[in-house]
Amino acid sequence: MGERFGQRLGVIALHVVVISGALLTVAPIAFMIYSSFKTTTEIFTLPPWLPPAVWSFKNYETLLTNWPFPYWYINSIIYAAVVTIFVLFFCSLAGFAFAKYYFRGKNLLFIVLIGSTMIPFQLILIPLFILMSRIDWVNHPASMIIPWMAPAFGIFLMRQYIQAVPSELMESARIDGASELRIYAQVIVPLVRPGLTTLAILTFLGSWNSFIWPLMVLRGSRVVTLPVGIATMRSQATASQIPYGEMMAAATLVSVPVIALFLMLQRYFISGLTIGAVKG
Amino acid sequence: MVQAAMTRGREARDAGGFQQHKLAPYAFISPFYVLFAFFFLAPSLIALVLSLFRWDGINDPRFVLARNYGRLLSDKVFAQAATNTAVYAIASLLIVLPLALVLAVLLNSKSLRFSNVWRAMYFTPVVTSTVAITLVFQILYNRDIGLLNAPLIYLGLEPIYWLGDRSWVKVAIIILIAWRSTGLLTIYFLAGLQSIPEELYEAASIDGASMLQKFYRITIPMLRPIILFVSIILLLSSIQIFDEIQILTNGTGGPANASMSVVQYLYERGYTRLRLGFASAVGTVLFATVFILSLLQLQWYGVFRKED
Repeated sequence: MGERFGQRLGVIALHVVVISGALLTVAPIAFMIYSSFKTTTEIFTLPPWLPPAVWSFKNYETLLTNWPFPYWYINSIIYAAVVTIFVLFFCSLAGFAFAKYYFRGKNLLFIVLIGSTMIPFQLILIPLFILMSRIDWVNHPASMIIPWMAPAFGIFLMRQYIQAVPSELMESARIDGASELRIYAQVIVPLVRPGLTTLAILTFLGSWNSFIWPLMVLRGSRVVTLPVGIATMRSQATASQIPYGEMMAAATLVSVPVIALFLMLQRYFISGLTIGAVKG
Repeated sequence: MVQAAMTRGREARDAGGFQQHKLAPYAFISPFYVLFAFFFLAPSLIALVLSLFRWDGINDPRFVLARNYGRLLSDKVFAQAATNTAVYAIASLLIVLPLALVLAVLLNSKSLRFSNVWRAMYFTPVVTSTVAITLVFQILYNRDIGLLNAPLIYLGLEPIYWLGDRSWVKVAIIILIAWRSTGLLTIYFLAGLQSIPEELYEAASIDGASMLQKFYRITIPMLRPIILFVSIILLLSSIQIFDEIQILTNGTGGPANASMSVVQYLYERGYTRLRLGFASAVGTVLFATVFILSLLQLQWYGVFRKED
């Protein structure tokens, strides 16, 4: 009986620890959303769970009228969407080649591919920026899209998914006279939709949240993306007049849709993150 | 005759198909290698060459041999940034990694109810915009009216100057790193835990092993490849840290460079001050460090050992 009591105590302790950690984790996000409906004074009023005197969308209104926020939003959506489309196409093609073909130099080429994922992008930050200015791509949409169209991790990810497709399907399509590109489009793509969804989510998210590169290559208040624009709200304000409420409204609008998307597509997201860790 | 023509036709088609079959994979992988060569390899080589020059991007570059490197190694701010970055990396390995491992074991427990709900809550920071959440933490860290100091002020104690004290600012950043990355690492560890055969734990239970013994004797050894993978990821992401510090300190890396990371240093010298040759030297040193650390780490975990 003592043992069973101890076990129950253990289960209760487990729940207490896990749940309080979970609440602590989402607390800053809850604080952000809650604060977006408050005035600056109310944001700093304790305790933080006190509701605002008046629930209002004032912060959201001023955000839309005083800042080029809609431009930032549209820019972010366009860049993320365009990059994602290219990434899906190029990565699935290359992943297909690595998964299903034998060709000379394949191993060496694959090592180059994997090796490139080990090197942080910041290492080439300055020379890549110099290259951009040489070819006149600073403040040009191309700089936000073209270098990022075929990431190695995406190719690796698609290779893992395409390897699971039975090769016999390809063979029979080939006997029927289908071209290689046709096999890709009509046999492979329909069968790796989950992989493509996963890659789409990861790519969109990466582009949506990216900060340092757009900070460098985009200039002008209307051409920047959301993270850069929101950062300028803070950096351009004088210390005494930081628009905290508007900043929290902006932070809410940039993160909540993505969190909602994540909650809906969690399964794909997690399989995409772990496929490299477990199999590779 | 007709038969012969048909055969010839099929042969021709087969030959075409054969050719296509041979060339198609090269065509399929070429976008990556073209982009890689142009936007990755070429800039890396430019950086290597440029690190031997002094250049502001406007006037002609001047060859200075290894002087950029000499100046870099004697630069106090660089030493500070390198130390800070090492502190972030070590704190991540010693705090965030064990935290995520324990959390994964707890979340994997069969007696945990509504496990999916708690998992989803722990994973949200992974997708939350860094800029957005850093602005929230900036409010929480406010010395006089921030939420984190409220209990201290309430008790009549001296409030912590989170973003103004040379040591506390690092703590503030480490907390933010922990908040942002614990969930991500937990995802990896959970995937690893799923691959441990249940029989191992059952056998250990029969032998009367305690929870702690099972953790040290089964979970940790079985997770070794994942721990290796995760610590490489942590190390690489610590070395790359920029967004959080840039926003939290309003681009200063302050107070007095006490929180500045190497990438922030590189950004400031290369982009803000246009010391392009010098910044390229910083990038090259960073590259060498990452390379050596990865090799050391792989060796440490016995990846190069023949029999494992």
